[in-house]
Amino acid sequence: MSTKTETPVKKKNQKKIQCFWSWVIGSVILRLIIIYFPKNLNLSSRPEVSTPLTSIRRLAEGYWLKQSSMSPYAGSMYHGSPLLLTLLGPLTVKRIEGQPDHLLCSLVFVIADVVTAMLICAAGKKLQAAYSSSLQSIGLHHLSEDSDILPSGDFAALLYLWNPFTIVACVGLSTSAIENLMVVVTLYGACARLAPLAAFGWVMATHLSLYPAILIIPVILLFGYGPDAPPRKLFRQRTNLEVDDSASGDRSCLEDELVNEKRMLNVFSWRPVVLFLFWALLWSSYVLVLCGIYVQQHSGLQEMFKSTYGFILTIQDLSPNIGVFWYFFAEVFDFFRSFFLIVFHGNILLMILPLALRLNHRPCFLAFVYIVLSSMLKSYPSVGDSALYLGLLGLFAYELKDMQFSFFLFSGYVGVSLLSPVMHNLWIWRGTGNANFYFATAIGYACLQVLYLFSLISGPLLVLILLLSLFSLLLFLN
Amino acid sequence: MGFQILNFFKFSMKGLMILLLIFLSHSVAHSTSSSETTMHTNNWAVLVCTSRFWFNYRHMANTLSLYRTVKRLGIPDERIILMLADDMACNARNKYPAQVFNNENHRLNLYGDNVEVDYRGYEVNVENFMRVLTGRHENAVPRSKRLLSDEGSHILLYMTGHGGDEFLKFQDSEELQSHDLADVVKQMKEKHRFKELLIMVDTCQASTLFSQLHSPGVLAIGSSMKGQNSYSHHLDPDVGVSVVDRFTFYTLAFFERLNIYDNASLSSLFNSYNPNLLMSTAYYRMDLYQRHLEEVPVTNFFGSVMETIHTDSAYRSQSNKKFGGPEIKMPLDQSISDNDRRILRNSVDEDQPNKLSTEENFHGVGQLWNTIISKVNTFESADTFVCYGLGSMVPLLIISVWLSS
Repeated sequence: MSTKTETPVKKKNQKKIQCFWSWVIGSVILRLIIIYFPKNLNLSSRPEVSTPLTSIRRLAEGYWLKQSSMSPYAGSMYHGSPLLLTLLGPLTVKRIEGQPDHLLCSLVFVIADVVTAMLICAAGKKLQAAYSSSLQSIGLHHLSEDSDILPSGDFAALLYLWNPFTIVACVGLSTSAIENLMVVVTLYGACARLAPLAAFGWVMATHLSLYPAILIIPVILLFGYGPDAPPRKLFRQRTNLEVDDSASGDRSCLEDELVNEKRMLNVFSWRPVVLFLFWALLWSSYVLVLCGIYVQQHSGLQEMFKSTYGFILTIQDLSPNIGVFWYFFAEVFDFFRSFFLIVFHGNILLMILPLALRLNHRPCFLAFVYIVLSSMLKSYPSVGDSALYLGLLGLFAYELKDMQFSFFLFSGYVGVSLLSPVMHNLWIWRGTGNANFYFATAIGYACLQVLYLFSLISGPLLVLILLLSLFSLLLFLN
Repeated sequence: MGFQILNFFKFSMKGLMILLLIFLSHSVAHSTSSSETTMHTNNWAVLVCTSRFWFNYRHMANTLSLYRTVKRLGIPDERIILMLADDMACNARNKYPAQVFNNENHRLNLYGDNVEVDYRGYEVNVENFMRVLTGRHENAVPRSKRLLSDEGSHILLYMTGHGGDEFLKFQDSEELQSHDLADVVKQMKEKHRFKELLIMVDTCQASTLFSQLHSPGVLAIGSSMKGQNSYSHHLDPDVGVSVVDRFTFYTLAFFERLNIYDNASLSSLFNSYNPNLLMSTAYYRMDLYQRHLEEVPVTNFFGSVMETIHTDSAYRSQSNKKFGGPEIKMPLDQSISDNDRRILRNSVDEDQPNKLSTEENFHGVGQLWNTIISKVNTFESADTFVCYGLGSMVPLLIISVWLSS
């Protein structure tokens, strides 16, 4: 590695970093400006932003109920974690003269966003380091040096901060900002192989919203194998080529190469995994004890689980949101309700294993795909969830630069985010439309996400087939 | 040898079961007979007007008059459930918009500044009435629409409208029958939702409505007997309809002389009804009520004069039972730390915090949990403890990360 080829790369990195901090500060200032608009532009009442799980008004109601010595889950208003109530509850009540309401809560969410972005940046750096070291180990030195790989971590962090979805979710006071923070803490902890941090993030993310539980698989893979690396086949090919190049045909030489290959291969190490599981157990018992103490006066942990996890799993609230379940469950007969609940939740569960088998050598990417999956198919999706995966896309931007239909997807996202409030207005406020108008945008959004998911992990032919099948399905439904 | 041991085991198990059953029945007996020892906690009023249409103005005025009286004598809005089947104040035929009178001198506007109607219009139906009394609501029903009484509450239930032999008509389309009412009261008694209940009915043949009651602690008075009608008092020529019923008129006449501190007895109220003036016989039923009516002040039901005990700590509501059934628990681990906080306390049937119910199966876990809880209660409140716990999570995390890196 000569220093001559290194310095231009370093300079490029440094140039990006200078602009990087100004962009970060710029995004914080933008958020603060929007917060000072009257009543947060009513963003916190939009169904796309605040769902029954993430709404700040429900949190304030839960806090008030707790202060009146009642269970915070009474009356089916609040469905989040008691720890959030302890953290954000007092802040919703504090009012400062002359400042907008909920200013302190907004500041907490802005800080959460910034910390998330920093952690994404750090995780990206770790990923890049691992990638370049694995490239070097198979001899592709030139690839890791003179290509202008932009620092994907910085890029992803800025993408996350400046994504309009993230800004809207932050200003709209949706608690998904904190959920996203915990998910990113998990990812960073797993990439950096810090078992307590990853365990903390995973436990908190699962506690706040149930779906990050599926991230345990990529996290275990990350601890076992290490961050993303090219597939083992590539390793074997490379070493075989080298063996052929040597052209000696010596048996012992070949055996040496094979031994080397085995060392280079990512061996699954169990020790970090066991450490991670131990820390996860510790943190989860800590969280459970805290929650138990908080709700012990009223009805205990059972009610808490029924109101949080039970609410997520049984989809009791059918108010419209950007997902598709509300429409469906409004018309399903009670007799079939549990069947369809199992089907819809199984939709996520059944996709876990095949994806894990396919992508087990790229656990970070697997985690990203799982996040896309859960944001798509969760019971109460909001734009805060999509903000996370759109931001994390930046981490894999280099590998995904050949993604098909990127322009189509981009314009699709823009279109849906513009149409959806319009349809909602037509339906609810003017009364000239009906639920089908709003549901059409929700279904379009879901199809868009499915397309996005498929273009991430499959080849172009498969995506074409999927597109055709989607169109035919839509025609059939209409 | 082993067979004998097994037999002995079986016998000892059976003996234990029998002992358990005896103990349970004992505690059941204790719990049912403990109603005399429960302390009077608060007063509730459920005031129901069941008829709609303009010509039933007087029923609305009856209910609103009782509402005003009950509020004047001290029961706050949060303990009154007011059910009005129709809107007279803002009715298109009301010459005096937003005003409801119960006398032709128009001295009192019953629909004044703070009238809180909990159930209005078509929400007043038999189903909701029974849901209110038994407390079996959907999840999303707000607290203001629930009867949140506990086992020490005195409840006044006032119903007015059109009735007949063993029924009361709701909304001109359905009826509440006397055995329905008796069943509801029995459910309420089973679920310990009242200590004493006064049912006051002002309809035709009113006393037939409570003929099927058989729960203890219930007192009932109706404006007329079987075969008799209850009549309106007078017609207001200005408003155009009768504005008050006779029974309620004379009840109000009795109460208007009282203020919050008077201790006129119930027997004086019941004896004040003159059959000649009422043009019907006001019949009351006191066979289910243990106390003597001369000793019971009217504010026992119609007002809310209670002894207040000052306490510095936050109020921990006594009845946190979500499902309402009487939980017969064997007092395993009494959490002693709660003792000094609970001032309004029963001696016999402790309502053990239901938190312990799930841990009772696991003795070891239960003991550990109790020690944690007792330690927590040394703090001012559990909330600050959880706050500290949450705050200490961050330094713990930092330390653990630093140690493991």
